[in-house]
Amino acid sequence: MEKGNPLREIAAAAGTKDWSVRLSFVIMGTAAIRYGQVIKGALYLAAQVLFALFFALFGWRYLRHFGTLGETAQLRVWDEQAQIYQRVPGDNSMLILLFSVLTVAVTVAFLLVWYCNLKGARRVARLAAQGRHINTFREDISTLLDERFHITLLSAPMLTVALFTALPIVFMILIAFTNFDANHQPPGRLFTWTGLANVADVFLGNEIKAHTFFGVLGWTLVWAVLATFTNYLLGMLLAIAINHKAVRLKKLWRTCFMIAIAIPQFVSLLLISRALESSGAINVALQQLGWISTPLPFMTNPALARLVVVLVNMWIGIPYTMMTFSGVLMNIPGDLYESAEIDGAGPVRRFFTITLPYMVFVTTPATITTFVGNINNFNVIYLLTAGGPFALDYYQAGKTDLLVTWLYKLTVNQQDYALASTIGIFIFMIVSVCSLSVYNRTGAVRKEEMFQ
Amino acid sequence: MKKFVSVLLAALMLAGLCGGAAQAENIALKVWGSQDDQALIKELCEAFAAGRPENAWAFTYGVVGEADAKARYLEDPTAAADVFSYPDDQIIDLVNADALYEVTRNHDAIVAANSAGSVNAATYGGVLYGYPMTADNGYFMYYDKSVLTEEDVQTLDGILAAANKAGKKVFMDISNGWYVASFFLGNGCTLALDEAGNQICDFNSPKGLAAAEAIRAFCNDPAFLTGDDTLLQGGIGESICAGISGTWIAAAVKERLGDNYAACKLPTFTAGGEQVQMGSFLGCKIVGVNTQTAYPVEAMDLAEYLTGEAAQIRRFEVRGYGPSNINAATSSAVSADAALSALAAQSQYGISQHVLNAYWTPAEAFGAELEAHSTADLQGLLDQLVAQTTAK
Repeated sequence: MEKGNPLREIAAAAGTKDWSVRLSFVIMGTAAIRYGQVIKGALYLAAQVLFALFFALFGWRYLRHFGTLGETAQLRVWDEQAQIYQRVPGDNSMLILLFSVLTVAVTVAFLLVWYCNLKGARRVARLAAQGRHINTFREDISTLLDERFHITLLSAPMLTVALFTALPIVFMILIAFTNFDANHQPPGRLFTWTGLANVADVFLGNEIKAHTFFGVLGWTLVWAVLATFTNYLLGMLLAIAINHKAVRLKKLWRTCFMIAIAIPQFVSLLLISRALESSGAINVALQQLGWISTPLPFMTNPALARLVVVLVNMWIGIPYTMMTFSGVLMNIPGDLYESAEIDGAGPVRRFFTITLPYMVFVTTPATITTFVGNINNFNVIYLLTAGGPFALDYYQAGKTDLLVTWLYKLTVNQQDYALASTIGIFIFMIVSVCSLSVYNRTGAVRKEEMFQ
Repeated sequence: MKKFVSVLLAALMLAGLCGGAAQAENIALKVWGSQDDQALIKELCEAFAAGRPENAWAFTYGVVGEADAKARYLEDPTAAADVFSYPDDQIIDLVNADALYEVTRNHDAIVAANSAGSVNAATYGGVLYGYPMTADNGYFMYYDKSVLTEEDVQTLDGILAAANKAGKKVFMDISNGWYVASFFLGNGCTLALDEAGNQICDFNSPKGLAAAEAIRAFCNDPAFLTGDDTLLQGGIGESICAGISGTWIAAAVKERLGDNYAACKLPTFTAGGEQVQMGSFLGCKIVGVNTQTAYPVEAMDLAEYLTGEAAQIRRFEVRGYGPSNINAATSSAVSADAALSALAAQSQYGISQHVLNAYWTPAEAFGAELEAHSTADLQGLLDQLVAQTTAK
């Protein structure tokens, strides 16, 4: 298929002598109908009419307010007869933003259809002039099952991705540039564009928000590294220990560790959270044993609370890594070890030259996923400490809060959507930069064919 | 714009005339309430409909508890209930979003029927925004009669002395802005809103510092115990001899303590060498009418019915909620309830909870700091607390 420059294509269509092609600019499908593709032309025309109706009756109502996100809030007017303040509906900034995004997306889609219409018009005119065969509608459809089968297959996923992923993301990103917070809630009060005010707040302007952002970001990264690599290393050691020739009852040991997974994560997290309270089971037990006289501040001392979340995360995470590594270990060819042993390599040498490189090679992509997952590890933090202990020097956050749990609090408790959205964008940037740059450097990607 | 409004008004009047002429109008109303209250709400709504056969009523019920009302409303005001109940601390955000109809019909009768505190809690900026439903969203003290005498419970020092003598604990959730405020409010500090809706908080004043010193002394007392309500419910009668909480655990505490069950107003505490009565928040649940409703007048009638004297008495009988209606609150059944009597005794020292969201997290952080026996400079902590609470 020829890949023409769209602008050149449009210019060529405008310059053609065929009246029907030129008419297709304003009445879609004219050329198709003239040259016998009646159904195709009618569909183009229908698309145009539908779009015009959509735009005039729905889209424009919102899009024309896009610049201000609404001018009049809901009004109240005294109704003497009913003895109430009747409400006169006003603009709703959120709906204006949401449906403007939708309208723009529909318009872009329509322009694509319009472009296809022009391209098709030129082609059909050319074919007619050369006296060649012009596809009927049935033949056009059948190409969708043959040479254009990729379009048939991919259109549904592309459409759903656009509707349910791309559009909401655009909407969320736009919120970061508004002042949508608890004091600007439609329909009573409208919100509007504030440019980069939120970004400036996070980084410079607002001392306490900036301090909170960098404090929480620092802990998020420390947490992600600790949570990922404690699980990675200890899970690997555990798998090697269980897999060792001298260990009997391998299946029993594995099952023991798997029991931790059998209990739903949130149940064990909530139970542990209770047990660690100042009058929880652990403190009471320690006190009755006489080991401590006052309860240990597991949840109230920042350093201890951070240690606790890392330890508890190990408890619920190691069984998973152990399972992964057991599988990988069993896949390492036994003859590698045998020949190494014959060459005089000891157990340490064998581990560092055979086992470790093999495991790192296979598991690095999965580890990157885990790392990114830990940056956004909502469950462990929120269910265990809820971000606590809260700190007076942080803005609505605690000392174990990750960016993602802070974001949750800002949205759900404070209705501070604009700030939350700004932080969301930064999380996305951090996560995507980290994972893409590391992923492309991994052996598994660069030397993909090596272990095949 | 003026022209538009007048045309709209004309249309409304016309609609009103037509409405008057039509027989048996179909009125669909959506009502929100907590899971536990669903049966009661249904019963009351059906009784309301039965008394008004001139219209055909269709109710739909949604399970949205008072605590979630604001969040769920703001998600989509048009999909929210026409009539819903909310705690008074959500009134500010709801009014800012223009979510609530002003109470303009029968205004004076409603104000007269309900306690002044509950009417004040439903009022913001001088306008009544809802129908008071309960007046029990406050706290007071439960105690074990076998450990503490009526004289002991008058002062915090007396309670702590008796508790230490008996080797028991005194429970209060200091790391919670709602409870910790009682020291500051008792010592004359202000936590309120100015006319522009900004938070005023002077907890870092000399009076606030004196209150904070009292909190620190309390937290450092061997008898002090903190935690959440489950801890109090589990421990009272055993290791705990007194605890501060609200009516929602009254049944559980009564069961634990049996004949030793008692409740009273909060004690006094020592601030700057003098005995000062602890303050509190006087919380209410309020029924509001959504400004997006298609039937404002009917929704208001329903809200008024749901909060009327008969409905409040029924709510007390079925759910044990303390009435805001004066007649209902002074009925013999309600005044025989020890917890509600203690709450009523405390309510004269209570203020309406007109507090913005920004207060709660720093207040919790402040309480947690003292619970952890921090030796940090109190004035510095209070300055941070006030700066965070009043930040814009």
